[in-house]
Amino acid sequence: MKLYRILGVILQEYYLTLHSLEIFIDIFFYPMMTLIVFGFISVYVAGSNLVVAHNVLLGMFFWQVISVAQYSVAMLTLWNIWSRNLSNLFVTPLTVEEFLTASTLSAIIKSGIVFASATVISLLVFNFNIFIIGIDTILAVFVNLVLFAFSIAIFILALLFRFGPRIQALAWGLIALFQPLSATFFPVQILPTAIQPFAYMLPSTYAFEAARYGLAHHTIDMRSILMSFGLNIVYLLLSWWFFKIMFKKSRKSGQFARNEG
Amino acid sequence: MNNVLSVKNLTKNYGNFVAVDHISFSVAKGEIVGLLGPNGAGKTTTIQMLLDITIPDSGEIKYFGKEFHTHREEILGRINFASAFNTLQGRNSTWENLMVFAKLYNVKNPKKKILDLLEQFEISDSINMRYWDMSAGQKTRVNIIKSLLNDPEIILFDEPTASLDPDIAEKTISYIESLRKSGDISLLYTSHDMNEVTRLCDRVIFINHGKIVAEDSPLNLTKKIGTAKLVLRFDGDKNTVEEYIKKEKKEYEFLNNYTVSISSEEKDIPSLIFGVSKQEIWITDIEVKKPTLEDFFLSIARTNI
Repeated sequence: MKLYRILGVILQEYYLTLHSLEIFIDIFFYPMMTLIVFGFISVYVAGSNLVVAHNVLLGMFFWQVISVAQYSVAMLTLWNIWSRNLSNLFVTPLTVEEFLTASTLSAIIKSGIVFASATVISLLVFNFNIFIIGIDTILAVFVNLVLFAFSIAIFILALLFRFGPRIQALAWGLIALFQPLSATFFPVQILPTAIQPFAYMLPSTYAFEAARYGLAHHTIDMRSILMSFGLNIVYLLLSWWFFKIMFKKSRKSGQFARNEG
Repeated sequence: MNNVLSVKNLTKNYGNFVAVDHISFSVAKGEIVGLLGPNGAGKTTTIQMLLDITIPDSGEIKYFGKEFHTHREEILGRINFASAFNTLQGRNSTWENLMVFAKLYNVKNPKKKILDLLEQFEISDSINMRYWDMSAGQKTRVNIIKSLLNDPEIILFDEPTASLDPDIAEKTISYIESLRKSGDISLLYTSHDMNEVTRLCDRVIFINHGKIVAEDSPLNLTKKIGTAKLVLRFDGDKNTVEEYIKKEKKEYEFLNNYTVSISSEEKDIPSLIFGVSKQEIWITDIEVKKPTLEDFFLSIARTNI
């Protein structure tokens, strides 16, 4: 891997972000507005149940991390397909590993900016201080959610390379499946009994559990964090393995070249 | 001659469809080779395999004597590609797009390199223009500049003048000609424009149904056609002219009552003209159309080899 090539891809995304209102809306404006709406809901609910109110806000806080990270990684490829520029990138010495590394680094930066902005807004507008769950919990949950977002994004990219832009809706739609399944705003026990085992198969579920534990006890829930991290490793390996197979099939079947029409 | 690129038995099937069928060829240092063929002949698939964006079923691709698959990064740093069918990021400016590729190729002093190339290609005034706001001619030039950023030893051009106006296509060809004068760069060039190919290429490879069906210099390929067209305009009896041509056993076509087009070997043309005039026919105009690469292309496309 060469750093200058990774920086080249990040530079491209930086320029794209500067020029694209869509990226600003999708990655900054929409998450902030969602957070503000949920902030007011939590204020409304707080009168009857402060714990529920804070859990809802906390859930939305961290949901933006997954959502932005996954969206950012998947969309960089789509922007290049839409511009018919993907082949141009891959006829340079750029490797797919470097391309994905650049996408993920860029996603971490965007998620970090969104998280920092959300921290300020929730503190100033809703008097909710995320740091009460502990910096160690914040970092551990953030890392685990970003890793899970990468697994989903890599899985989507694998399908995108293999089947082309006809499945592009997954880039912004698939993530919605994991919001209820991960018990983002409520304890897992709220989910139907039949669904709970599936919830416990997701690293995001443990990360949200750890966040709620931090909110309730102001200390880190190491068991949940480790479970989340362990599952993340498995998911990342599986998604990377799937991606490699699909990427090779895409080049073998000629789909990679056809992606640009 | 040193081969920059050598291809042996390259094959690609898509299901039952044979896109490229055991083709072998090479491109020498400083050589411009045209890769021609009808639509669906296998040109683009070949280019895609030569760029590693499509994986061949079998065969060998070597650049600079090194196996492409095992030296991918090194080789892609020494070659480049431009096509009318691939574009750069529409929202980014010329400068931004070129800076990204300069980074990817690790170009030393990229600012100077980009500014020099923009000046050379007379497009410095478009430096801050967004790619999708540019004219087709400007885009083509930016694509070519992109393909020169890393000082490549060989460039693969896939129909770089497709869908350009004739005057812009002419300018583009002039730019490509200037590349040839500038050094030892090799080009592999696909196009549907036979005049372009005749003008630019040292050698032409014809592909049809995935196979190489002819390979030679443009001049030698046109010689293979053998027959030229003699167009005679005359003042006299059409039947007399027709009788004479039939007697000479030539293929012909009357374009009107006073104009006939005769297919003939070039060496027989003077005697044909003389022969017609001896039939007391007043010849008012003579036009000889020599065979072109296009005639050869059409003969190959029609024979459906």
